[in-house]
Amino acid sequence: MPALFLNLLKLIFLALVYLFLWQVARSIGGHVGAPQAARSTNRAGEMVVVRSDSIAGQRFPIGAPAVLGRSDQADIVIDDPYASDFHVRVGVQDGTVLASDLGSTNGTYVNGRRVTVPTPLIQGDSLQIGKTILEVR
Amino acid sequence: MTRSAEAALLLTASVVAAFGTALVGFTRGIGLDAQVALTFIVFVGAFGAIHLSLRRWAPSANPYLFPLAAILAAIGLTEVYRLDPELGSVQRWSLLIAAGGASGLIFLLRGDGVAVLRRYRYLFLTLGVVLLLLPWLPDEWLVHGIEANGSRLWVGLDLPGRTLSFQPGEIAKLLLAVFLASYLADHHLAMGTTRRNIGRLALPPLRQFGPILLAAAAAFAVLVYQRDLGASLLIFALFVGAIYLATGQLAYIVAGAALVVAGGVTSYQLFGHVQRRVGAWLDPFADFSDTGYQVAQGLFAFGSGSLTGSGVGMGRPDLIPAAATDFIFAAVAEEMGFAGAVAVIAGFALLVAAGFGIALHTRDLFRRFLAACLTLVLALQTLLILAGVLRLFPITGITLPFMSYGGTSLVANMLLLAMLARISHGARA
Repeated sequence: MPALFLNLLKLIFLALVYLFLWQVARSIGGHVGAPQAARSTNRAGEMVVVRSDSIAGQRFPIGAPAVLGRSDQADIVIDDPYASDFHVRVGVQDGTVLASDLGSTNGTYVNGRRVTVPTPLIQGDSLQIGKTILEVR
Repeated sequence: MTRSAEAALLLTASVVAAFGTALVGFTRGIGLDAQVALTFIVFVGAFGAIHLSLRRWAPSANPYLFPLAAILAAIGLTEVYRLDPELGSVQRWSLLIAAGGASGLIFLLRGDGVAVLRRYRYLFLTLGVVLLLLPWLPDEWLVHGIEANGSRLWVGLDLPGRTLSFQPGEIAKLLLAVFLASYLADHHLAMGTTRRNIGRLALPPLRQFGPILLAAAAAFAVLVYQRDLGASLLIFALFVGAIYLATGQLAYIVAGAALVVAGGVTSYQLFGHVQRRVGAWLDPFADFSDTGYQVAQGLFAFGSGSLTGSGVGMGRPDLIPAAATDFIFAAVAEEMGFAGAVAVIAGFALLVAAGFGIALHTRDLFRRFLAACLTLVLALQTLLILAGVLRLFPITGITLPFMSYGGTSLVANMLLLAMLARISHGARA
């Protein structure tokens, strides 16, 4: 085999490999990095009341920060004698869902642990206010 | 851009593989022979089977995983076949077996299969450690350990006429990844948040870390005792990386790196084989004819490869010890040049990016961690061996996924991709 021919074949082989990688790299975009939905702040899921005497099953969308409490003035009224008037604030800040206790008497519990500083919530976390438990979905 | 595009890419990779085999034939002066057709048929058969299983049981799985593996396998097989046609034909059989295994796993994990994995984490941990211990079976037994190059990593099964051998550690790393993902999915919150403070030093909750530390210690002790530097580093880095993924605290990476340095210095003092490898890394030319020979030959291969390489079959990668296994990347760099080496790195980079992409797209915690841990295994293994061959790090004898000669490695990495593919199907459904 003449050297020129072999050199040509060598370059064709490399060209094929690069053509292949180019095809993949061009269209792989949607499969790499974080999904769009998680980045946008307005689609952050919802909270569902999973344990409560009176409001079980109610759903609240998670979006702009909202105050949960026993008071009528609260954005989301939690009908629970152990909840404080303004108990906890839940909402999306910088792309993450944060739960900030507002100095409640009986405390806010995330997954069973009392939290005193703003705590990020993710899907599946439980949020306990008094005897009421909400789940992030 | 889905399954039919995947089919087109797989077919292209098969053509590249056949082309590679043809190149070897041309430079040997044999021209086109039956081997070319055989390579093409094996690639089409192996990846075709996987493609059909994906269509049937995971239709919305990520369509890039197996094509990327196929192009890497095509480049790898070309070099393996060039170095030794005998090894090349064994590798083709391995590819068929690996594809069968991957298709089977895609079938087994259909429906809720991945979630079932989560429940049996301690079974997988035990199995993983048992697999790591297998090479200690006495030599006289039907199934026995095999010692090669000073490490006992292989298990052989004596059949009439020949011995089938495999490397159980390759499969163990998958089982350990499943254990880790399952454990972290249940405990990551407690591991990341509750901490005790002693003075200004924040301590992680030891109760949560107990099982994971024990598991790491068990796997690590076995491997260090077996003198398998590569696998022990890989497992250690996997545990550290997974804990970092679960807690998001950089301190674990720092602590892990400090432990590696401390462990490295200690084992350098204690073990001759570590001293030899570090010596070959720092100055391969100091003891060129003996300990530094392999690394030095690897470097020569990179140097002589130039931009587009000597051409398949026209270099001398056969001078590098273990060119078909650990040093396959040096062989590629010599005969396909800088361009070929960059293509290989790009292929792995895309594969790892796709793997972490699957983790990010998956909402279920266990699947998310599993995808991340599996990708971590692949990425760490690739990095360790590439850095070793390039003399950025002491050489740690492990295989380059999909490319090195070795059946167990190929099977294990194809199973890994099958799990990733199945997880990605769930994520997008």
